[in-house]
Amino acid sequence: MSMIKYIIRRLLVLLPVLFGVITLTFILSRLMPGDPVLAHLPRNFSAEDYTNALRALGLHLPILQQYVIFLGDLFTGNWGTSVSVAQGAPIWDLVLERFFRTFDIAIFAIVIAAFLGIKTGVISATNRNKAKDTVLRGFALVGVAIPVFWMGMLLQYFLAFRIPIFPGVGYKTAGIGDPPKITYFRIIDSILAGDMRLLVDYIQHLILPVACLSFITLASITRQTRSSMLEILQQDYVRTARAKGCKEKDVIKTHARKNALIPTMTIIGLNFGGLLTGAILTETTFNLHGLGELLIVAIRNTDYWVLNGVVFVTTITFITVNLGVDILYGFVDPRIRF
Amino acid sequence: MGQRYEQELTEEEELGEEKKESVLKNTVSWIFTNIKFLLIPGYRLEELSNREKDYEKSISKRKFIRRLKSVLTILGIVIIFVIITFAVLGPWLAPYTFEEANGVFDNWWAAASPEHVLGTTMFGRDILSRLIYGARSSLTIALPAISFSVILGVILGVISGYYGGWIDSLIMRIADVFFAFPGIILALVFVAIWGQRMEYIMLAYGILGVPYYSRIIRGSVLQARELPYIEAAKASGAGNWRIMFKHILPNTIQPIIISFTFDIGGIILSLAGLSFLGYSDYRLIEWGNDISAARLHLYDAPWTALWPGFMILITVLGFMLVGDGLRDALDPRLRNL
Repeated sequence: MSMIKYIIRRLLVLLPVLFGVITLTFILSRLMPGDPVLAHLPRNFSAEDYTNALRALGLHLPILQQYVIFLGDLFTGNWGTSVSVAQGAPIWDLVLERFFRTFDIAIFAIVIAAFLGIKTGVISATNRNKAKDTVLRGFALVGVAIPVFWMGMLLQYFLAFRIPIFPGVGYKTAGIGDPPKITYFRIIDSILAGDMRLLVDYIQHLILPVACLSFITLASITRQTRSSMLEILQQDYVRTARAKGCKEKDVIKTHARKNALIPTMTIIGLNFGGLLTGAILTETTFNLHGLGELLIVAIRNTDYWVLNGVVFVTTITFITVNLGVDILYGFVDPRIRF
Repeated sequence: MGQRYEQELTEEEELGEEKKESVLKNTVSWIFTNIKFLLIPGYRLEELSNREKDYEKSISKRKFIRRLKSVLTILGIVIIFVIITFAVLGPWLAPYTFEEANGVFDNWWAAASPEHVLGTTMFGRDILSRLIYGARSSLTIALPAISFSVILGVILGVISGYYGGWIDSLIMRIADVFFAFPGIILALVFVAIWGQRMEYIMLAYGILGVPYYSRIIRGSVLQARELPYIEAAKASGAGNWRIMFKHILPNTIQPIIISFTFDIGGIILSLAGLSFLGYSDYRLIEWGNDISAARLHLYDAPWTALWPGFMILITVLGFMLVGDGLRDALDPRLRNL
């Protein structure tokens, strides 16, 4: 019961934050230079055309009234159609399609990174200040310090051009079709459609971007695991476990690692939220047409509505993932009471 | 306990070895420590207690420096030194002047040659010169930006943690809003609104860092506020501002110093990302910008992308290595290991 109460309380705290984010997005989008009305008009337009277009978009109203209408539309799901990014396309569909494409990359990247990162972090902590640790720490730091777009370009050059194993750009081979949209997850859709060709093609296209993203995420997970492992290893109960004659392997695996994973979980959650949006650079490098790319196009073309939609979806996801991690704490660590 | 005993033993052994070391080194270090007596006539220590304090300080400093002595940290210090040299001495080190490195020539996307040691990039500009000048623009944007966020963040964090109540809630809710926004999106939007000029990019990144630092420092202020020395300061009649910035701040600034060094690297990295997306000041020579241009010719002139990226990697790595070393040396939780 207390768990449900906790979740409700957290959600209530999140409401003002969400409200703030929406307001900030609204203000920022209206401050952007450029005029979205112009995208609607033919080359030689009259003043009358301009006012008509302005009225059609609802931009002639006072700004506060626009804000209220914007809030109402956002929560009733009436997101409208894109003005200049993809003319006439419903924003909801556009954002959703892009979102799941980014989600695919992010989920693979985070699973791989979490698995490897925890492993290397533990190894690094148990061999503190030895050669193994120095090498792993250096490797992890390179992962934090490497510009992801540069790494992507190196991979493209070597693994897609020099030794053409993987496709270098895009999320599908040109000319290959799309599976019918059932779940929006391309992998599941391909399996449901029974088309192995689509599935294999998609997975091939995912490998390089996922490699990039998991490498940079891996690094921060490794670092967090290492430092929390180091802290745990000097706790009394670890010494007790050693004193009672536990094997070192068991001390690390069952006594220390489980407890060290709790701060790591936060980092994994944060990283996952960050991947959904921070994948902009990777998406641009690999021409993936994901959410981040949509955002940049919306900013370039001053499409307020698409911009608001993208930011709303990413913020909601970001907040939800972090909330999810906090709730997971309760299951992982029984000492935490809500 | 066993570990600690071993540590003491090794320390004693080291001291013994130090005694055996050459007389020359002792003399040099004596001159170095007593140089003020030699050079400044009439200079003397006023009280014995002062001398004792200095001695204690030198001891702790020596230990601190010893902690910093890991291979990776030294590597980081060397890298930072090289990058700063590039930034400061750019015009003397680079084979071409700034105008030439930003000019238009016919030799586009050329491979390495005697005139252009690392080849040329778009508009036939020399890559090596652009690498060297790039250090300058990275540092001139990153350092003011991060100083802005640290100063404003610390002030807001201390106020928020010290006063509590509605001020605290207000500042922290605003910080929450900024946190919920993915950083790069905010930077993109800010730069799109204000225009692609160096000052605005700095300001955008400066603002982005504020909530982060204020949250770090608020946490430690909340702890420090309850300690006896604050009560003592209050009892002796110190004002709120005095307590906040003379008593609490020096005791809570350490985590900021640690993350500051590390975050310089982070800011340089995300600046490069922003220029890669095309949002940079085109008057400057920037590594991220060069990579973005090189994307078009990745397959026929890969070196144009390789070198600027390598510079970004090295620079960021340098700051992060030093930040990591500082954390290991200063973090009290890791001290007893």
